[in-house]
Amino acid sequence: MFRKRFRQQIPELNTTSTADISFMLLIFFLVTSSMDTDKGLLRQMAPPPVENSQPQDVNKDLVIRVELDAHDQLTCDGKPVTLQELSEAVVSMATVNRTEHIVAVQADRETTYEAYFRMQDAIVAAYHQLREQYSQKHYGKAYRQLTSEERSLVNEYYPQRISEGKSE
Amino acid sequence: MRAMKSLIRGDRRRHGVPTLNVASMPDLIFTVLFFFMIVTHMRSDEVKVRLEVPAGSEVKKLTGHPAIINIYIGKDKSSQWAVQLNGEMVSPSELPARVNAIRSKLSPENAERLTVSFRADRHAPMGLVSDVKQALQQAYALKINYSATEISP
Repeated sequence: MFRKRFRQQIPELNTTSTADISFMLLIFFLVTSSMDTDKGLLRQMAPPPVENSQPQDVNKDLVIRVELDAHDQLTCDGKPVTLQELSEAVVSMATVNRTEHIVAVQADRETTYEAYFRMQDAIVAAYHQLREQYSQKHYGKAYRQLTSEERSLVNEYYPQRISEGKSE
Repeated sequence: MRAMKSLIRGDRRRHGVPTLNVASMPDLIFTVLFFFMIVTHMRSDEVKVRLEVPAGSEVKKLTGHPAIINIYIGKDKSSQWAVQLNGEMVSPSELPARVNAIRSKLSPENAERLTVSFRADRHAPMGLVSDVKQALQQAYALKINYSATEISP
């Protein structure tokens, strides 16, 4: 009886379940990992103010004062505006005074972050529009198709001059 | 006649359904698995606050993974506004020291590129956001990425 069994061929290993095991691994990775990439608005802050420094005097004609109050009301130079109007105001100011203008931003402590973010987004959109125009005119291409050197030249031509005030 | 019979019988015997060879199936699935392991990344820290990021039209992709600090601002379990730095809850006053500690562990190259990924809830008050921003300013972490979802303009 034994002898007979030994004479038989070695049976193949049943690997049917390996697929199931690897499927389980795959599903585990699908669940635990995230595909979403971080997207956002990249901003550069000013370095901390030096102590005892005097506030610089700037020409008031070159400043757009953008304010947000406690009820998320956006005002531009004292007048209530919409995001679209804010964008337009920034565009017209930056066209007139390309390198000298200042967008002074001020938000109340009670303002919601969303209102603040939308304001930032509108200002960045304004600069984006200007840069897009410039790149179409001088390179004949869309801004996003420029090489990184060309892009930094365009960025220098239309610098983002945003100054942020403390929330009080 | 006999030959005919055997032919039929032989035919019949061959009619048994052959088993499908699934030996390469695990290899296939492993390939898919490796693909997913490469293109996705594990979320390194557990977010302890509830938040919903705002939406904007000018958002861009954030790159440079090793040099990113995550800050989350949202409501904690007791519905209070709270700040989380990477995996831990912090108060805005201790942020500069924490950020400096993280920076000192990075390579000089990455320390220069250090970016703060700022995920704050839509309804977070600017007072708190501004406190956090000032703390970051003191720590010279000046590059900030305001995380948002994209909406088409």
